[in-house]
Amino acid sequence: MAVLNNKKSKVNDEIPSASMADIAFLLLIFFLVTTVFPKDSGLAIVLPEEAEIVEVSQKNILHIIIQPTGIVDLKRGESTQVQQVRPSDIESIWRQAVAENPLLIAAVKTHPDASYKFMIDVLDALHLAGAIRVSLQLFEG
Amino acid sequence: MGIRQGGFQRKSKASDEIPSSSMADIAFLLLIFFMVTTVFQEDKDRPIDWAQAEATKKIDEKKKDILNIWVERDGSVWMNDRLFAMEEITPVIAPMYAASDRRMLISIRADREVAYLQIDQLQKQLVAAGVVRVVFATELERRMTRERR
Repeated sequence: MAVLNNKKSKVNDEIPSASMADIAFLLLIFFLVTTVFPKDSGLAIVLPEEAEIVEVSQKNILHIIIQPTGIVDLKRGESTQVQQVRPSDIESIWRQAVAENPLLIAAVKTHPDASYKFMIDVLDALHLAGAIRVSLQLFEG
Repeated sequence: MGIRQGGFQRKSKASDEIPSSSMADIAFLLLIFFMVTTVFQEDKDRPIDWAQAEATKKIDEKKKDILNIWVERDGSVWMNDRLFAMEEITPVIAPMYAASDRRMLISIRADREVAYLQIDQLQKQLVAAGVVRVVFATELERRMTRERR
């Protein structure tokens, strides 16, 4: 019995440290690969160049007037008839209108006191409908 | 020969392995160094309520080419952590735009409740500075949240 207990173990009792570096690099590479930085997102538009004034025939303009209350008035070209809609309705209205007249331009006229978010709602609907020809203006009068 | 029988055959007792136990320390040192020295953004976020839009798209542009202009609810305009008056924007932006080789993109980050007059003035300032590419920064709106409104 005593002989057995005195026998020394020949197994190394140290944790092997040679592979520690590999573990560290593995972690480093894992986090490098999986990190995703939040990208900027939004509604991209191109503003007109300065002094770039383009005359557009009234019949090719869809006036979208945004009131301070968030109600949207639609006016087609020369007609004085005003149609009140919600911003979410504009998507289908635009699709229909542009199918009838491919040269149509959306003139978004926002009242100076209207919230920015109402303009974004309208611009959002136009972007969803695939509108490219959009003019952002301030509503006067 | 005397050489063969002499001290030349004695084995060296120094280990011929490169010590690998400190490799991990070197790796962590590099990791921590790069974590500490990396700078992601020059300007801090201003407290605004984001506008939401369903058509929100990711902007495929390098971060260094994007300039954020923040418009807070009270109408104050911030760029690169500094407060600017509306009239100062054109003279500040114009040289920056020229220096960026006309590649600069402006991200308008306005509070959703800000009056549109402010945004219109900002757009006019940008047009006067010659900047044409603008993004209205928005949060992606899911159809679910829209229906709840």
